[in-house]
Amino acid sequence: MAKRNKFSFMFAVVFIVLALVTAACSGNSNSTVNNGSKNNAEGETDKPQKNVTLTYSIWDKIQQPAMEAIAKEFTAENPNIKIKVEVIPWGDYWTKMSAAAPAGTLPDVFWMHGGQFVKYATGNFLEPITSKVQAGEIDLNNYAADLASIYTLNGENYGVPKDFDTIGLAYNKELFDQANIPYPDDTWDYAKLAEVAKQLSQPDKGIYGFGAKLDTQTGYWNDMLANGGSILSSDLSKSGYDDPASIEALKARYQMILDGASPTHQQMTDTEATEMFKSGRLAMIFDGSWRISDIDSSEIIKDKWDWAKLPSGKVKRGNIINGLGNVMSAKGKNKEEAWLFLKFLGSQKAAEITAEMGAAIPAFNGTQDAWLSSRPHLNLKIFTEQVADAIPYPSGSKSYPVWFAKEPEIMSQAWGGAISVEDAAKKIAEMMNQAIAETK
Amino acid sequence: MTEMQISSARNINWIVHIILIISAVVMLVPFVWMVLTSLKTTTEATQIPIHFFPSAPSLRGYIEAIKQSAFPHYYMNTVFTAIMKTVFPVIFSSMAAYAFARLRFPGSTILFVLIISVMMVPNPVFYTPQYMMMSDLGLVNTVTALWITSLISPFATFLLRQFFMTISKELEEAAVLDGCNPFQIYWHIMLPLVKSALVAIVIIQLQWSWNELQWPLIINSSPEKMTLSSGIATLVSMFGTDYPVLMAGAFMAVVPMIILFFIFQKQFIEGIAFSAHKG
Amino acid sequence: MNSRSRYVWAYFMIAPTLIGTLVFWGWPVLQSILLGFQQSENFGLVNHWVGFANYEKLFRDAEFWQNLRNTLYYVALFVPVTLILSTIFAVLLNTKIKGLSIYRVIFFLPQVTMPAAAAMVWVVLFAQDFGLINHILGTRVAWLSNSNYAMIVLVIVGVWGAIGLNMLLILAGLQGIPKSLYEAADIDGAKRFNKFRYITIPMLTPTLFFTSIILLIGATQIFDSIFLIIGKTNVALPSVRSLVYAYYQNSFVYFNPNYGAAIINVLLLINLLLTGIQFAFQKKWVVYD
Repeated sequence: MAKRNKFSFMFAVVFIVLALVTAACSGNSNSTVNNGSKNNAEGETDKPQKNVTLTYSIWDKIQQPAMEAIAKEFTAENPNIKIKVEVIPWGDYWTKMSAAAPAGTLPDVFWMHGGQFVKYATGNFLEPITSKVQAGEIDLNNYAADLASIYTLNGENYGVPKDFDTIGLAYNKELFDQANIPYPDDTWDYAKLAEVAKQLSQPDKGIYGFGAKLDTQTGYWNDMLANGGSILSSDLSKSGYDDPASIEALKARYQMILDGASPTHQQMTDTEATEMFKSGRLAMIFDGSWRISDIDSSEIIKDKWDWAKLPSGKVKRGNIINGLGNVMSAKGKNKEEAWLFLKFLGSQKAAEITAEMGAAIPAFNGTQDAWLSSRPHLNLKIFTEQVADAIPYPSGSKSYPVWFAKEPEIMSQAWGGAISVEDAAKKIAEMMNQAIAETK
Repeated sequence: MTEMQISSARNINWIVHIILIISAVVMLVPFVWMVLTSLKTTTEATQIPIHFFPSAPSLRGYIEAIKQSAFPHYYMNTVFTAIMKTVFPVIFSSMAAYAFARLRFPGSTILFVLIISVMMVPNPVFYTPQYMMMSDLGLVNTVTALWITSLISPFATFLLRQFFMTISKELEEAAVLDGCNPFQIYWHIMLPLVKSALVAIVIIQLQWSWNELQWPLIINSSPEKMTLSSGIATLVSMFGTDYPVLMAGAFMAVVPMIILFFIFQKQFIEGIAFSAHKG
Repeated sequence: MNSRSRYVWAYFMIAPTLIGTLVFWGWPVLQSILLGFQQSENFGLVNHWVGFANYEKLFRDAEFWQNLRNTLYYVALFVPVTLILSTIFAVLLNTKIKGLSIYRVIFFLPQVTMPAAAAMVWVVLFAQDFGLINHILGTRVAWLSNSNYAMIVLVIVGVWGAIGLNMLLILAGLQGIPKSLYEAADIDGAKRFNKFRYITIPMLTPTLFFTSIILLIGATQIFDSIFLIIGKTNVALPSVRSLVYAYYQNSFVYFNPNYGAAIINVLLLINLLLTGIQFAFQKKWVVYD
């Protein structure tokens, strides 16, 4: 009997504890929501003064401090609007957004990528800002390199340009000095890159000349363009992967792994190429302007590295410019406030904060100089200078999210040595063309 | 026992010990390596030839991992979610299991098959429809969403039914004669008899809840609404192959459960043994 | 008690589980079945009926058959190995050996290690250049990207993580075997092995039946470890990609939830079949008291 009582007692205790915990917890989780609506009721007579908290979702933790600084500045001007900056890592970002979109739970304001934009805009998940533009609340001509056009669909504007990025060649000065080889400069071409990469490699020590990684925007897309190939045809209707010039460029990159001038694909999976560069084990690597502060934070390589332009290829110097945009949800509960914040994100003030903190190259014309001097020890102007060489990121179609997700799965078969580079390129072209046809 | 039997028993004991020691070492290697790597620098973690011990132990991994995540929230959410996902399934499942095992009623077979066939559906199937439900209820990005969909457990229902079926019917029959209703029989007589299975289920449910990875990642986006498992998974997306940070995060996620388990292992494991002996 | 009131009690007692199952699990499954016959657009907000088109495409897809083979291969390796090792450890730990409780704790530790954390450390252990495993073996094998070894790695990680729980369940089963049976056998002068063969094993069959079903169902759903350890740019992915992995990719990455649903519905059917077979054959080998 005693045993049985003890048993029931245990259950009772668990239940009571549970009840307490539940009460405490639900109180907690509801508080933000309640706050909003309570204040809403109080301030009904004075509508613009209602207190709201907006969620601003971004994917880059490195830019979080800058985004929070902008949000703080905004709240100082609009004390009734608080901003919660939320970092969702790139790897989970689009999965989460694609669950949130149909459910109507997209964040109030969030970062948009050119590749994903069309899918969200055609589904009417983004709030058009065309009327605001026409009313003169914001001037889209303020932004560099026609970036606003990325976030325009069928004559409707949806996004405010945030920043842009291009690709550079990062090099480890120490490894060049040790080998008595002059640093990369504007005169370099791909032949020179391959030659020097071989000279700098010491595989027995785990040091390689170049990270010939399996990557698109910071990898072989630049090679393909420089060699006269293409990623997509200019009308976005056909893949350029099976262009002989594209295939030749892909083969040349893979050859660097075979030559021992680059770590293998598995090595670069075990340790990311950028991570290898940061620990001084790669002499050269292509990387995007968004990785600057990440690389510069490495104690090992600090003050021993710099940037150069990408090498030129048979036809030209390849590069890709991509502009991120800020957009707002069409189903947000506080769209008026969200617009105020979106407008502020596109302001000169926000761009200056972005530039000064070295977070990204701001899109707002005239603020890029501040970014260039944010890290005076680095040759950052190669990024803005290469805008002239660059083609826009190959987005702008509904099929992009599909083929872009499948592309690395096929290419990794070549990079891992299971099929030839040529076969992989042709398979990718076929897959892309099919994806384009299916989403027509 | 004869001399020979005793010496052969001793030999067997030795063999058993050796097998167990080797296996234990193999089981432990990942933990040891996790701790060692977490204290290395990023470069040392991937150095060739490998260093077993960090040459200059550094806490950078821990500092970075803590800075980029919300561990206090992770712990609280994980513990709370685990309690909810353990207590309710144990109660509900044991009730249902008893009914399925002992109370013959129309439709019992089909309903039982229906419930356990749910086990055969892979978890990702539930993500989209359950996300929609949570969004209709306004529960996206809340702690409630972490557990509300898991208050029942087909697995526990199945396990407990197996246990109830092995219990002899005599005890019950006596209780029926005393005028007990089925719920009273279940609560006062049957439940204490399957205590060992209940302990096992508590452990299993706790552990499942503890390990659940994808659902919190999909339903919640604020770090303060994440659990340990999903929280440290976002470290991978953030830090790539910066192994000391990942290992530090993993270690901090695993350690509370290990400590809990060390403290309660007698109740956990021997509780099963002990109550079964009496039963 | 009359049968009428027994029914009422029975329905009352299964109600929470039944309702919960139908709402949170049954409804999504129904949707999944419907999705398999539809073509969705705009994140699933627009759906057209397409009959068996998704299944026709599926059965002509070589990748699907490869994924099915991979899944069954994993099941065929993982389930028996886990079951045998768990039983061995449970039997060894069911004796009065020294250090018993420490062993039990150690074997259970992987069980309390979340897959996300475990995956991270296994990736480091199996790394080609700086991995401990290559160091100990004196090899330089790229374990994770070798199409022959990648599956073995997944099985090792799976077994490592599963032994603790199954050992515990079997241990509970062992403890439940009445001592009187062994005592009677001792009087008859039975040998150690014979006692194991004729008392332990038969008495353990209900537990083994249960654990084998749970293991089987779990194994057919392998996903997390492929996702976390192998990854999407791995040359070995085609040789380990499971049905659930393909489902996840189609539903959440390729924006093709219909094709994903078709894949998962086939798996559901397979699982029902496998479990059905096990239930049908349980009378042949499972001894209920």
